[in-house]
Amino acid sequence: MTDYTRATPMSQPVPLGQWMMLHIIRPLGRWAFVLPLLIVNAVVIIIPSVSGILYAFTDWNGIGDANWVGLANFQKLFQDPIFFQAFTNNVIYTSLFLIIPIFMGLLGAYLLAGITHGQVIFRLIYFIPYMFSSVINTQIWRYLLHPRYGIGAELAKYGITFLDFPIFGRRDTALYGIVFVDGWHWWGFLVVLYLAAMTQVDKELYEVARLDGATRFQQFRFVTLPSIRPTLIFTMLIIFIGTTLVFDHVYILTGGGPAHASEVMATYLYTQAFQNFDVGYAASIGVMLALWVSVPLSIFYILRRRGWEI
Amino acid sequence: MKLLRPLILIFVGLFMSGTVIAQDEVVTLTLWVETTDQIQLDHLQQALVQPFEAAHPNIRLEISGQEQMQDVLRTAILGGTAPDILQTFGPSWNAEYIAGGFMEPLNDYAAQYGWEDELLPWAYATGTVSGTLYSIPLTYESIIMFYNRTLFEEQGWTVPTNRAELEAVANAALEQGIHPLSYGNRDAVFANGHLISAYLNNYVPREDLRAALVGEKQWTDPVFAEAIALLTEDIAEKGWWSGGLENYYQYEGADFWTELATGEAAMIIVGTWGFDSAPLYFDETDNDWDWAPVPNMTETPQPSVFPLAIGSTLAINANSQHKDEAAMMLNFLISNPEVVLDIASGFNFSEWLVPLHFELDDFPEGVDPRVMRFHSEFAAATGQGEYGYANWTFWPGPANNHLRVEIEGVWEGLATIEDYLAAHQAVWDDVRASGNTIPVP
Repeated sequence: MTDYTRATPMSQPVPLGQWMMLHIIRPLGRWAFVLPLLIVNAVVIIIPSVSGILYAFTDWNGIGDANWVGLANFQKLFQDPIFFQAFTNNVIYTSLFLIIPIFMGLLGAYLLAGITHGQVIFRLIYFIPYMFSSVINTQIWRYLLHPRYGIGAELAKYGITFLDFPIFGRRDTALYGIVFVDGWHWWGFLVVLYLAAMTQVDKELYEVARLDGATRFQQFRFVTLPSIRPTLIFTMLIIFIGTTLVFDHVYILTGGGPAHASEVMATYLYTQAFQNFDVGYAASIGVMLALWVSVPLSIFYILRRRGWEI
Repeated sequence: MKLLRPLILIFVGLFMSGTVIAQDEVVTLTLWVETTDQIQLDHLQQALVQPFEAAHPNIRLEISGQEQMQDVLRTAILGGTAPDILQTFGPSWNAEYIAGGFMEPLNDYAAQYGWEDELLPWAYATGTVSGTLYSIPLTYESIIMFYNRTLFEEQGWTVPTNRAELEAVANAALEQGIHPLSYGNRDAVFANGHLISAYLNNYVPREDLRAALVGEKQWTDPVFAEAIALLTEDIAEKGWWSGGLENYYQYEGADFWTELATGEAAMIIVGTWGFDSAPLYFDETDNDWDWAPVPNMTETPQPSVFPLAIGSTLAINANSQHKDEAAMMLNFLISNPEVVLDIASGFNFSEWLVPLHFELDDFPEGVDPRVMRFHSEFAAATGQGEYGYANWTFWPGPANNHLRVEIEGVWEGLATIEDYLAAHQAVWDDVRASGNTIPVP
């Protein structure tokens, strides 16, 4: 039987039908299986993304004609103090999320790893907040931290006043209050992820470390962390992306106020598109969002290509 | 040839049956409304759909409530799936749709049915752009002051009608640990605009405010700065609202209405949709409520002003396949005051009250006399030309957004009033250049 997978020597002419089967029909068959997914990807992701980039160079109001304005939206963007406020808030948001929830996730996972009885119960308790939608999560904390009905107001009746202030109504605390609420919602998921990664670490490595006299902290530092590095890097990437694109918690808890103190790029984009009817400008904000998100992704990709084990 | 005659008969028969079917065809009109309250939707079925369909047997009217309707409607309009009849939040929302050709011109229908004679003149004008009618007003509103009448009687306070009386009541309330006023913008930053409108209309002379709206006066004029300064002083420095500006940012409707109903606050300055809210909260207490015009804020007392406002409008989708039938539905509302009043009764006359030439006798029995008093005083004042201009009706979208959002920078001390108004003027200049302004009566 003829083996069509082997190249035919140049000295022997290939029948046309055989050549078409090998170079056209079979590849087309393979592509046909992925074609539906490609079509969905194109319609849902690629076309809107390219459209969004193009609209960033227009004055489109979301309804009428889109007229080309070149770089005018980007020039306006780089002179917009509110955009820089929003960008700064996003950097703060991301920085806090890369520290506090990750630290709490690692600590929680490390402590849970040492529990044999009842571990599942603790994992479930820590994971429950993650299962809430952001709307439910924000409503819970809006009333827990309410200046009239909240924990602070109730404690103040007994003379404990350190929490008796409107966290989301003050410019200096609004953003940090949102980070707290979002972090409470998120850290349980990290515990579960890190715990799963820690259980995959070879126990012999810990045994060797103990024999070498390593303390528990040194075991964590030199055995656990390097072993779960891929999971750690993965969570850092998704945190970076998630906190750069954060919208729901900010929109519901403060709307970006007071006076843009908790404004982030996503809420500012929304305001420009749906309240100012300046979709072209909003699209330019979206382009900047995408560029900012691509920075760590690009670094990650480059380092992986260079052989870094991350 | 033998087959030709039967074929002709068959074709004629098919054509005739198609014509008969077309004559009996029932047209279905679709309308999306912003209420999702099932009681109110059921009321619309009983008060609007049923009488309309009874009067128009070949038209079915399908009404559905939509959450976040303005966002949903915008997407549907762009996607070609919008309903036949479009309900929007008012003229300032319509400019973009009109510019994009999504709203059908209604001049021919208005002439056919005589709408200009049925609607109040100022209300009819708000639906026009460059002389072409695009929408009819569905709800007229204003800004007033609700107060806890029981609290005022117990404390011996006089309902304020001017700045001096307002300060007296506010100081007396603060001494009692009562918030002089309560409000909040956590539901929506729209609340900022309500307060700005209340102060602008009751401090700035009407002709000056109108001049700024039509471009004959600059927003940087000192009279506007003084009004904004007064509001900033009251809300940010004196803390008259909600126990402080920081609380104001966190309060939503349930918070400030509860404060008023329980006597923790004395007054609320809000739109007339408050007639729907006040009974809900006061019925849970032993206190009673009432309303008064927003006090005049000038040093030399002047009559209070009712700002004109259109809370929502109805328009015909330019891509609708049933424009004539949609116009019939609009005409059904405009030409039947008793139907309008019946519909509005389900909203405590705070919505769906098309601005027609009502008489007080037209209102059904059992209507809250406080609500009747508002409509009576509003009609009397506006009929004599004593009215103002609410931001959500007469400020174009971008200008309205700047007005209510960036005021927080002034309240927080991040921006001067002069810078705020200069930026506001710049937004107006851009809007005027694009031609998307709103007619001002």
